[in-house]
Amino acid sequence: MKSLAAFAVAVLPAAVLAFGSAPPGQPAPSFTVTDLEGKPARLEDYKGRIVVLEWNNFGCPFVQKHYRSGNMQALQKRYGSDVVWLTVNSTNPSNADYQKPAALQSELESFGAHPARYLMDDPGTVGMAYGAKTTPHMFVIDASGKVAYNGAIDDKRSTDLADVKGAKNYVVAALEEMKAGKPVSTPSTVPYGCSVKYR
Amino acid sequence: MRFACLAARAAAPFLLALAAHAAPVVRTEHVEAQLVSDVRSAQPGKPVLVGLKLRMIPDWHTYWKNPGDSGLPTRVHWQLPPGWTAGEIHWPYPQLLPVGPLMNYGYEDDIVLLSSLTPPADAKPGTADIKAKVEWLVCKDICVPEKGELDLALPVSGAPPEKDPRFVAHIERAQDMLPVQPAGWSSAAAIVGKSLVVRITAPAGAAPPDKVTFFPEREELIVPAAPEKVARDGQSLTVTMQLADPPPQGVTSVAGVAVAAAGWPGTDGRKALQVEAPIQVSLPAAAAGSIAGGAAGFDGGIGGSFLAALAFAFAGGLILNLMPCVFPVLGIKVMGFVKHAHGHPSVMRAQGAMFAIGVLVSFAALAGTMLALRAGGAQLGWGFQLQSPVVVALLACLFFILALNLAGVFEWGAFAQSMTSNLGARGRYADAFLSGVLATVVATPCTAPFMGAAVGFTMTQGAGLALAVFVMLGVGMALPVFVLAFFPALLKRLPKPGAWMETFKQVLAFPLFATVAWLAWVLGAQAGNDAVLALTMGLVLIGLGAWMYGRWAHAGARWQPVLGALLAVAGLAVAWPPAGAAHDAGAVASKESGWEPWSPEKVKSLLAQGRPVFVDFTAAWCVTCQVNKRVALHDAAVVKAFAARGIATLQADWTRQDPRITEALAALGRNAVPVYALYLPGEDAPRLLPEVLTPSVVLAAVENVPLAATVTVTVTQR
Repeated sequence: MKSLAAFAVAVLPAAVLAFGSAPPGQPAPSFTVTDLEGKPARLEDYKGRIVVLEWNNFGCPFVQKHYRSGNMQALQKRYGSDVVWLTVNSTNPSNADYQKPAALQSELESFGAHPARYLMDDPGTVGMAYGAKTTPHMFVIDASGKVAYNGAIDDKRSTDLADVKGAKNYVVAALEEMKAGKPVSTPSTVPYGCSVKYR
Repeated sequence: MRFACLAARAAAPFLLALAAHAAPVVRTEHVEAQLVSDVRSAQPGKPVLVGLKLRMIPDWHTYWKNPGDSGLPTRVHWQLPPGWTAGEIHWPYPQLLPVGPLMNYGYEDDIVLLSSLTPPADAKPGTADIKAKVEWLVCKDICVPEKGELDLALPVSGAPPEKDPRFVAHIERAQDMLPVQPAGWSSAAAIVGKSLVVRITAPAGAAPPDKVTFFPEREELIVPAAPEKVARDGQSLTVTMQLADPPPQGVTSVAGVAVAAAGWPGTDGRKALQVEAPIQVSLPAAAAGSIAGGAAGFDGGIGGSFLAALAFAFAGGLILNLMPCVFPVLGIKVMGFVKHAHGHPSVMRAQGAMFAIGVLVSFAALAGTMLALRAGGAQLGWGFQLQSPVVVALLACLFFILALNLAGVFEWGAFAQSMTSNLGARGRYADAFLSGVLATVVATPCTAPFMGAAVGFTMTQGAGLALAVFVMLGVGMALPVFVLAFFPALLKRLPKPGAWMETFKQVLAFPLFATVAWLAWVLGAQAGNDAVLALTMGLVLIGLGAWMYGRWAHAGARWQPVLGALLAVAGLAVAWPPAGAAHDAGAVASKESGWEPWSPEKVKSLLAQGRPVFVDFTAAWCVTCQVNKRVALHDAAVVKAFAARGIATLQADWTRQDPRITEALAALGRNAVPVYALYLPGEDAPRLLPEVLTPSVVLAAVENVPLAATVTVTVTQR
């Protein structure tokens, strides 16, 4: 059954067509998924607030770079009160990187991560709607529900922990500019990382 | 050859002994890495090819320089002996690696990444210890970053290098996979809506392959996973790809590799073609086997050449003579000449010269004023004179007085008498000079088609060059009258003086009345309805004054002419718009449905949404702008074409001073309105349309913009 599903994804051109995008300035695609506790989460729940979406897969060395260096947790903490930080996992259950909610819960605890919620997007529908390509791939949604930033977490494309220091963090830049009431000067960049494991 | 090899072998036995050992292989969980060279030794000063050989375990891959949707290109940090230099990696062409809905560009099985290393010219014979820290990301379902420290002991010897048979095949295979640029092939690219089209054209006599895959070097240029469409059309091949969303910014050319499994003709079967395709406005139909170059498109720009700017200025000046506001003034002058055609040629020449000097001095003064104000930090451009309501009101009064004069309501004392030549020479010269000044003043509202480019150029130049351009504008404007004055024979071709001249003069009053009507409308846009009432009431007083002056001045009456003059002055005072009669910005723009006020942010955000944007840089006082609006922009076919393509129409209204518009014009290399700019998503620079529009010009410009159904960005709402 699993392999049949994988086959369908691989051969159907519809899979490519369904791959969406969320360009800056456009309304962010809405979604309803479940979080680690199995509770439903909807983007609409956070209307009027700034939302950060972080695509995550702890098996990915690029994600590990930002968690093992403490970078991602620091951002989640720093903006914890200003924004709603939603970490999204679109890894397909058939992929070797797939982790069950319990395993993810302990990963989050061991890293000391503080996302507002951790969303399970097993079928990859949210990731596909946003055109999330990599882990990490970051989106910032403004209070009016429009995409304000879409792209990489920073400008140092590597798996090297040492590169976190001295990198220009685009998410920080976007959030600070939004806080100051200014337009986001770099609304999109090329995301880097592992591919989101949609199959 | 064999002897040479033998000699080298004999000369360096100990080097060969060293090289007999291949460089060590570094093994990681997924990759075997090794540095290889196809030669056994390097010669001082001569580059040698060294390959990084990566062998991936089955189904795992490493990445090309553009990894596609995800991934990371392999990186090599050379650690070379002193004096050695290393070139960039020569990347063999990649393969498509689909990963679910995503696409990567990279390599499976094994690949050799070549680099050219050059020993210093004074390298001593011996062994060079070449080291490389290499990092690669290797992925299958999951990704693993790996690295290795590789080394290669490469002997340095003066003898010609001998091939190393163990690695020759590897290096040759890698070289065969490098893209080539054979002579005679050309390419061009265009962004059409949400597609990127690359056209590759074969030289005469060759036919391009049917099937190719295009790999762009730039990331986020296209959607790598979207299928590419390939079509062959005789000599040419087009590859249509889906542009990335948001569309890339600042793309002026498309570099990439076109891979044909069947090989490219005339390249010994090489499969990869290096493509450097400049982005063009539109791709001409594949005709004579080559693509017409130049991305200039509609831009009537002047390419920044000083001589060209002078030529444009001269032509613009000539055209000014025919403008409705200038022609009547010149008409009077020429009629003066007609009367004098049988008089003293020397007097006429002097008058012609004085007129020319008057024009040149006023142009220089105008330019000097503008340059001085700009130097003082003001954001001003050509036409700035008309951005002040006071100037507009005064010009309206001036034109009104001139029109009343032409219509015969009154005669100037000195002005009219000089025409009949009974005045002293000094008066005549002053009159000719003042006619030149007047002609220049009335010319300012009429931005002739070529002046935008010429005046824009001057603003990027030093003050001296800018003045030269303005003076050239004056030369163009003064030339026809000047020539007539110097070659009275030409005047003989004009009708003989007679009663017709009075009629002609009176007819000329009406273009001036029209100009007054238009200036009143400009004033209304600038300072509101009340200012227009004040102006028209002022004109009534001036009319009354002129009539009293005309009715009684020549009848010898004493007080009526004085009262008339006083009434005219009072009229001026009434017409004078109140200070700070500022009016809501965009007063003109907002009156037109379908046109929204311009702002740089708006252009940016519309483009980010994937919408094409047409900007009309206009001003109420710009006649050409108004004509273009009526004739072309409001044309039903044009309105329909814009709507069908989802083109957002913005109006940048420069009727009053607006530093942001002045800045935007400067960025386009212009300093005057009208300017028409078509911004397309994904294109760095807008396409500029000519300054004189017809519906067909506008339709041709938007022709290649796809219909709105495919332009509108669709966002999946779940």
